[in-house]
Amino acid sequence: MFRPMPRASGYFHTGYAQDLALLQTRAERISLVIFTVVLVALPFIVSPFLLDLACQVFLASIGALSLMLLTGYAGQISLGHAGLIAAGAFTTGILAREIHAPFWLTLPASALTGIVLGLIFGLPSLRLRGLYLAVSTLALHFIVIYLGGEYETKRGFSTGIIIDPPTVGGFRLSDGRAWYFVLLGFAVASLLICINLLRSRSGRAWRALNARETVAEALGISVVGYKLLAFVISSSMTSVAGCLFAYYRGFVSIEAFDLFLSIQYVAMIIIGGMGSLLGALLGAAFVTVFPYVIESLIKQLPNVQKLAGDIFAVNYASFGVVMILFLVLEPLGLVGIWHRLQNYFLLWPFKQRPLASARK
Amino acid sequence: MQLFVNIIVLASIYALIACGYVMIYRVSRVLNLAHGELMMLGAYLLLATASLFSGHAAMALGAAVALSLVVGLLVYVFLMRKMTGEMVLAAILTTVALGILIRGLVVLLWSAQQQYPAQALGVPNPSLVIGNARISLWSAVLVLTNAAVYGGLFVFLRFGRWGIRMRAAGQNPLLAAQRGIKLHSVYALAWSLSTLTGALAGILMALDSGLTTSLPVIGLKAFPAALVGGLDSLAGALVGALIVAAAEVLLIYYVDPLLSDVVPFLVLIAMLIVRPWGLFGTREELDRV
Amino acid sequence: MSEPLLQVDKIEVVYKRVITAVQGVTLTVAKRRIVALLGTNGAGKTTMLRAISGFLGIDDARVTEGTISFEGSRIENLPPHDITGRGVALVPEREKVFPNLTVAENLSVSVARAATGAERRHDEDRIYYFFPRLAELRQRVGGLLSGGERQMMAIAAALMCRPTLLLIDELSLGLAPVVVEDLTRRLMTVRDEMGIAILLVEQSAAVALEIADYAYVMENGRVVLDGDRERLKSHQDVQEFYLGQAGGERRSYRDVKQYRRSRRWYG
Repeated sequence: MFRPMPRASGYFHTGYAQDLALLQTRAERISLVIFTVVLVALPFIVSPFLLDLACQVFLASIGALSLMLLTGYAGQISLGHAGLIAAGAFTTGILAREIHAPFWLTLPASALTGIVLGLIFGLPSLRLRGLYLAVSTLALHFIVIYLGGEYETKRGFSTGIIIDPPTVGGFRLSDGRAWYFVLLGFAVASLLICINLLRSRSGRAWRALNARETVAEALGISVVGYKLLAFVISSSMTSVAGCLFAYYRGFVSIEAFDLFLSIQYVAMIIIGGMGSLLGALLGAAFVTVFPYVIESLIKQLPNVQKLAGDIFAVNYASFGVVMILFLVLEPLGLVGIWHRLQNYFLLWPFKQRPLASARK
Repeated sequence: MQLFVNIIVLASIYALIACGYVMIYRVSRVLNLAHGELMMLGAYLLLATASLFSGHAAMALGAAVALSLVVGLLVYVFLMRKMTGEMVLAAILTTVALGILIRGLVVLLWSAQQQYPAQALGVPNPSLVIGNARISLWSAVLVLTNAAVYGGLFVFLRFGRWGIRMRAAGQNPLLAAQRGIKLHSVYALAWSLSTLTGALAGILMALDSGLTTSLPVIGLKAFPAALVGGLDSLAGALVGALIVAAAEVLLIYYVDPLLSDVVPFLVLIAMLIVRPWGLFGTREELDRV
Repeated sequence: MSEPLLQVDKIEVVYKRVITAVQGVTLTVAKRRIVALLGTNGAGKTTMLRAISGFLGIDDARVTEGTISFEGSRIENLPPHDITGRGVALVPEREKVFPNLTVAENLSVSVARAATGAERRHDEDRIYYFFPRLAELRQRVGGLLSGGERQMMAIAAALMCRPTLLLIDELSLGLAPVVVEDLTRRLMTVRDEMGIAILLVEQSAAVALEIADYAYVMENGRVVLDGDRERLKSHQDVQEFYLGQAGGERRSYRDVKQYRRSRRWYG
């Protein structure tokens, strides 16, 4: 894996606590403080539109992080991500609608749905790999979508389920700024969960079975157990994201969870850069913001009328182009570009090519 | 009887599409998830040639088919060629991205409305009667075309010089290269043939029941047919298509019409649990990817 | 003497930009000659064949120095089908036949340079004349052939490419001595009647020195000894380390803790 050059010297660890700390250099600590200040101040400076955009990015990050965990680290390809989000959203919708369940019930219920579905989605992975596994997740996705559609038609919600904003301890969550902080909190929590999982035994086990399954098994790592664990954790995180999505939008309908959404999440981790949590975040931001950028670009062009009507198609086409460009030209994704940039400044005025290309 | 006819028609559709998946997979181990979109592009190209050759339906059809062949070739030469040797997942995702790109382009170039190539060409689509069942003309043509395509492919792969080379390249690309076979030529041929058969399917379906931008969905539904039979087996694709089509038609009729989109995937999951390499596929396929 | 068919001049082959597998190797193959490349595992023999036939790219390796000339023109780092098109055919060590194609289909797969249909049929008949066993097995599927038959099949398929130079990687590996003897006899017939040159990589020096006109011994990526058959057979180091003849008396293992005599190739 392509690692950036170490950026600081002179830091000596004299105890395990120092070793385990997340931030190890002064530069890292300072940048985190600055970043936090910016993030906290943001809702009070920017327009509601950008606020909504930021919320969408946080929401997408949760899904992207969980997919990165599953596919980027544990190596289990999943094309069914949208199905899992749908499951979380629908659990929330169904419970809210049928039994008027409150937030503190629907959230864990969604997580539970995620766990159960994670087991189901994970079962094929015990026997299949690569392409065949991807295909099985695809099939399961369609089955989940079908079930959601069935529910909608049979219960008469053909236009979707409307959900009231959640109430947490008497406080009604409908303000944009409040949502910003809630979603930021969830995103940060997901990030911390992922970081810690990856630093622990599970993370090492996943990396091992990603690299060589038979060797991992021979070393005593329970391949079955860790594969299922990866699916279960990833799915429950995704379902929670689905639950939040349902509340944030206030509306759940099965058409929102099509194959394109799954592809978008896969694109997030590819464009961001496989095997890196930073990549998941960058990818989530990129893919979420992308349609809006395209839309504003279109508005600049002279021939607005015709294209504006087909904005969806323009989105599709440009998304396809960008994805192809990244796959063909920059397999390491945005993280690869970021690291190259860092190395350039670090090593300037020396130039250096990496000794071996990372992926091959 | 009508059910039987429906099954045959649907199976022919799935089989004609499935052989495209099998061709590319067998030769280069790449799953072409853009097949549905390329199929749709073929049908839209017919619209274009119909206005170009208005009045000469046969020429329009021929031109559309020839154009599709060229499109398949271009897709390989300009895009997929760069992904040979990369990870399989990367190649598959490239095809997915290509599919998305084509979907966007098609709407931009032709609008998202439903189109009727049969009207544009001025050809009728009468209902033929067989026994006490009805079948439309173009569906019948599709069934016959499917048979012809499969017959042709079987003969080509078995006896044709380049057909044997394609089989060889699929088995062991390195050895094939050592025997002097230009792998890029073989892959380009596979892509061209695959796009050709897909376009035939798309065109005939569009002539039969109109053309919308959701045609690729059928392409995706045909994929389980290919996998059930074995992704590297042409005969398997035929059998798989029959199985999936029969399941779909029967379940729609006897159980629930809404099932239509999900039945192929149920069959797929069942097959993956029981026999992942399909009915006629080679077992080593699993370990290769 | 006219210019040699294959001239490898001080090449260096580097894997993944850091591992030097072959250093400063020079070798020559003249027309219609059988040249052997000897050495133990890891000496760099297979790398040499890969460098000549153009199949280095797969393992991320390159010829970084020196030249390889075939019939006067430079061929190092060219794409493999280009090299095969010029008349160099490789019989690989592993996976030498297409397992799901019949023998006849295996033969028809090879791309022959500038051959019409009639010429191809003539080539096929000649192959069956050299290897009658294959004629009997025409419809047998490749995966079901025995080891010796497989090697014959592989050589035959390479010959269908109408090469001027045949590269064979590990001719005798895994084959019974009787089979090997039969194969070597046929190879010499092929060389005599088709006029091709053969570069043979062999671990078994005894087998190689039976048919080779000239041989090179490689060790750790360098050529340490070369000479014609007589010179090598009589060379003490070759005798001791490759042919297993410890120069006279039998010794018990107690006496041989490590090589008592270091290899003095330059003598």
